Amino acid sequence: MPDIHHPGRRSVLAAGAAGAASLGASWLLTGCTGAASAPVLPVAARQGTPDRGGTLRIARPPASDAETLDPAGALSAYEYLGALYNRLVRIGRDGALAPDLAESWEPDDQARTWTFRLRKGVTFHDGRAFTAADAAYTLRHILDKRTASPQAAVLAPLVDPARLRTPDDHTLVVPLKTPNAEFPSLLTHYNCYVVPDGSARSIGRTGIGTGPFKLESFAPAGPGRVTAYKDHWQGRPVLDAITFFTVADMSARSNALLAGQVDLLSQTNLDFATARVIAASDRATIARVENAQWYVLPMLTTEKPFTDVRVRQAMKLAYDPEHVVKVALQGAGTAGWDNPVPPSDPAHISAHPEHDPEKARHLLKKAGHEGLAVDLYTSSYDPVFTPMALAYQDSARRAGIRVRVRTAAADSYYTQIWMKKPLMATYWYTGRPVDQLFTQVFRGGSSYNETAWSDKDFDALLDRARRETDDTRRRELYGEAQTFVVDKGGAITPMFADRLVGVSRKVRGYAEHGFEFDYLGIGLKGA
Amino acid sequence: MLSFVARRIAAALGTLLLASVLVFLAVQALPGDVATQVLGKDATPDAVAALRGQLGLDRPAWERYIDWAGGALHGDFGTSLVSGKAVGGEVASYLGNSALIALVTVLFAVTGSIVLGVLAGLYRDRWPDHLISTASLVGMSVPEFVVATVLVLCFSVALPWFPAVVLYGPEASVGQLLPAVWLPALSLAIVMAAYIVRMARTSVIDVMASDYVTTARLKGLSTWRVVTRHALPSALLPTLHVIALNVAWLVGGVAVVENVFNYPGVGKLLLSSVQNRDLPVIQAVALVSAVVYVTCNLAADLGAMALNPKLRTRGRTR
Amino acid sequence: MTTLDTAPVAAPAAAPARAVRVWRTLRSSRAAVIGLSVVAVHVLIALLAPLLTTYDPIANSADEALLGPSRQHWAGTDQYGRDVLARVLYGGRYALGVSVTATLLTVALGTVIGCAAALRGGRFDDVLGRILDAVLSVPAILTLLVVVTALGTGPSVIVLAIAVVYVPQVVRVVRGAALAVVPQDYVTAARARGEGTWAILRREILPNITDVVCVEFAMRASWVVLLISSLSFLGFGADPPTPDWGLMVAENRTAITVVPMASLAPIIALATLVVGLNLAADGLSKAWGVDRIREGS
Repeated sequence: MPDIHHPGRRSVLAAGAAGAASLGASWLLTGCTGAASAPVLPVAARQGTPDRGGTLRIARPPASDAETLDPAGALSAYEYLGALYNRLVRIGRDGALAPDLAESWEPDDQARTWTFRLRKGVTFHDGRAFTAADAAYTLRHILDKRTASPQAAVLAPLVDPARLRTPDDHTLVVPLKTPNAEFPSLLTHYNCYVVPDGSARSIGRTGIGTGPFKLESFAPAGPGRVTAYKDHWQGRPVLDAITFFTVADMSARSNALLAGQVDLLSQTNLDFATARVIAASDRATIARVENAQWYVLPMLTTEKPFTDVRVRQAMKLAYDPEHVVKVALQGAGTAGWDNPVPPSDPAHISAHPEHDPEKARHLLKKAGHEGLAVDLYTSSYDPVFTPMALAYQDSARRAGIRVRVRTAAADSYYTQIWMKKPLMATYWYTGRPVDQLFTQVFRGGSSYNETAWSDKDFDALLDRARRETDDTRRRELYGEAQTFVVDKGGAITPMFADRLVGVSRKVRGYAEHGFEFDYLGIGLKGA
Repeated sequence: MLSFVARRIAAALGTLLLASVLVFLAVQALPGDVATQVLGKDATPDAVAALRGQLGLDRPAWERYIDWAGGALHGDFGTSLVSGKAVGGEVASYLGNSALIALVTVLFAVTGSIVLGVLAGLYRDRWPDHLISTASLVGMSVPEFVVATVLVLCFSVALPWFPAVVLYGPEASVGQLLPAVWLPALSLAIVMAAYIVRMARTSVIDVMASDYVTTARLKGLSTWRVVTRHALPSALLPTLHVIALNVAWLVGGVAVVENVFNYPGVGKLLLSSVQNRDLPVIQAVALVSAVVYVTCNLAADLGAMALNPKLRTRGRTR
Repeated sequence: MTTLDTAPVAAPAAAPARAVRVWRTLRSSRAAVIGLSVVAVHVLIALLAPLLTTYDPIANSADEALLGPSRQHWAGTDQYGRDVLARVLYGGRYALGVSVTATLLTVALGTVIGCAAALRGGRFDDVLGRILDAVLSVPAILTLLVVVTALGTGPSVIVLAIAVVYVPQVVRVVRGAALAVVPQDYVTAARARGEGTWAILRREILPNITDVVCVEFAMRASWVVLLISSLSFLGFGADPPTPDWGLMVAENRTAITVVPMASLAPIIALATLVVGLNLAADGLSKAWGVDRIREGS
């Protein structure tokens, strides 16, 4: 499918003029015609078979000087993980679980003990064979306090590291402390990539996994390179190598793509204006990952005025999510209606309270906060933060809420602002199974609970849901949990956005959904 | 004359000492406890207290100043709170990268602006003068980020001659950085040259109106010789000073331009270390910039004295 | 940029003579007239902004995002569908408001301290000189970042930050000018009469360095405008959705190939204001014989 953005005039002109002149002219012409035409963006990267070999250059934001290749760690270099490692279970295109290093898995009838049958003939990059001992070690490594893995909070209440069993080299048995029918879905998280037995001390530097690429070099917040692992169990990847570069400034990153210095921008959801510039360029285009970004304005429920549930409800009723989607995304996304479960998730419920500024006003009056004024923090960390904040500000004005948008530094945004300021803008990748999502972000006491919301009734509801072995009944309980969060929780969820990824026109076989990125099939054509 | 030189050097050292105190105090004023910052989400009160002790934050400020200043004298600026590496080496590699830009910038700015300045001075109040003067006025009036953005659009996106951003970290070799130096240097040079042009022009006008040039002309010296013998040197002298004084500005201008180009230089280091509250790095960068500034000024003063006989005898009025 | 020492010569002048002189200066210097008119136009536009456009500079309008220039939107719209022209017109209010306040504060403080240093001389002057040298040797951008991160963003913080950076430079220039006045007979006479420092400052010195201070004001203002826009560009200045020119360029520069006017218009506004201020400073200094270029940079 060809990209659909340009109506042909530009290419005609480009063919007519020669060399440098045409480049300059095409740039000017898009400047003029782009203005009048309705904004249209391509929906996918170019299709077709890539050439074998080649090096893909990816630009990514520098997370922190502390980032490591230990997948269980808190500050992992995400782009490397998928290339270097495999998990036991991953998420397929349809949103359901798919086998990775585990070929199959089944619970006992109470969902209390789970048995994973592991793939044979898999080797690590150092030549060692992958066995159940490695899988068991991976879980123990996550649960080890010294690792300080964010996923430990999710798994620790379920898994006792001492009770893991490996009856043979290719079977892992996980007895749970409490029944959980969704347990395998918790292993799809990016902290759960499988590492070799006993590698805790070295894995952050060596990056030895079973993935399609092996590590050549890596510098925290700096450049790095991975090369094809010829003995990968799924066969050799299309590319010879991937080079990663870090570029802090978002517009510098897109300039690098426009200038042909890199082929793909990772962890970068482009804002609409930049996306149009890239789509209109000769070298790059836009790929869309539908509803891949889950945007949130978390209200800290431990900070005034958000300690009052009426204020939280008013903040949600006050604004129109459809307006936010229109202004901040130009429609490239779906209104969230404050429900954190994405519409694509089978457990998603679509019922929600209607936008009602009058009711919001009324609630605020009852709570003694008429004409509420709040500071809303954003940063250039993600280019959609500020548009979202401004759209919210604009919309909530009708309920008499005065929002002051304040910009904070991007580098320290997640250490100084997130979970510290009462109201700010942030996002998550979608692709978390529903139990993972609620346990990690909404359960009282979880380290990623960004609203510091703690409600015993909600936690009990979650416990009931994960124990339930009947699929329909369990889905109903997760539905109740959604209503609970929408009604009482602290997260304003205005929207799910399509991730607009900048890719070179040479890139073929690009496929991404949620956290999953296809490193095996991606390649270049005519590079 | 020797005593004058000695006085200047002593004054420069005094200035540096004071600057180091100011830098230290200013950095202490930054909000947000370093320990909390380093520990991030895992900051329990115990851990914070332990780290504060470890970093020596519980000691009085003057003690920490003495420690820090003493270490700095030996080139030991402590360790970065973020990367855990020695600050000295880290700052040095960023500084080297910025020096590359600064060198090219000064080369561009000086050659370009002296030529233009002398031209404008010679063609005073005629069209070349008007053109050059207007251009320099515009150059002075446009912020460097605008110049940088326009240059990227023209020479990396529309015409792919230069890289739009630098993809390498601070350890990049000169060979890796060289292709990326030109656009940032040009953006800075344009802004800097605007000032030097005006300066050079005035000097040339003054010299051309002076008695000895009139005499030289009357003696039948060709215009070319008058320009090379009298106008050029007189344009160079004040320019020297502007360059020295612009070193301080360069650090600031470099921060903006390096940000646009993702150039791993000292300005970018300064921005990110302020954002990360990496105090040892901030202090080191500030102190090193102060040293560079003071040294350049000293050199310019002494250089001016050497070049200008009048100053040599009279000494400089402060 | 930076400051050079200077010692302009100022002649004593009586009040009526001064008014005549100002008038003559303005008539004689074309540059000053043009510069001051450009600035005046900017002031007028800023004051009349609500009358010149019917658009709200802040309200979003998703249906009209990223439009090119048209009859409805002369300079097009940005990615929020806001009218670019309206934002540029209102932007003058912020730019002028903040920079005039900052410059006034800077020049006032600098003048008082500079005159005091010239008048008191001796150890006070020496110590002050050393401290100013030290402050000047610290990169301005660091001082700015420290003040802004310590106190948070907002117009008053920016005014303060700019004062911290530029006061030392103004002090040096003014001190140089005042030094030329201090040895004059009328100052000595005033001292002999036993007048206080403040009185001498106000009655004898200030009137005789007005020209230096005025040129300093115009020149400083042009840098302050640039500096504020750089701060906004780096994300340390105005908070969105404030219609600030630097912020507008930062917001729209990535989209410059799609809607060039969204970034060009604020650049033009910024540049004309700075050109105006520069011309005014040039013209006034030439007419008054203040060595501006040496002072400059």
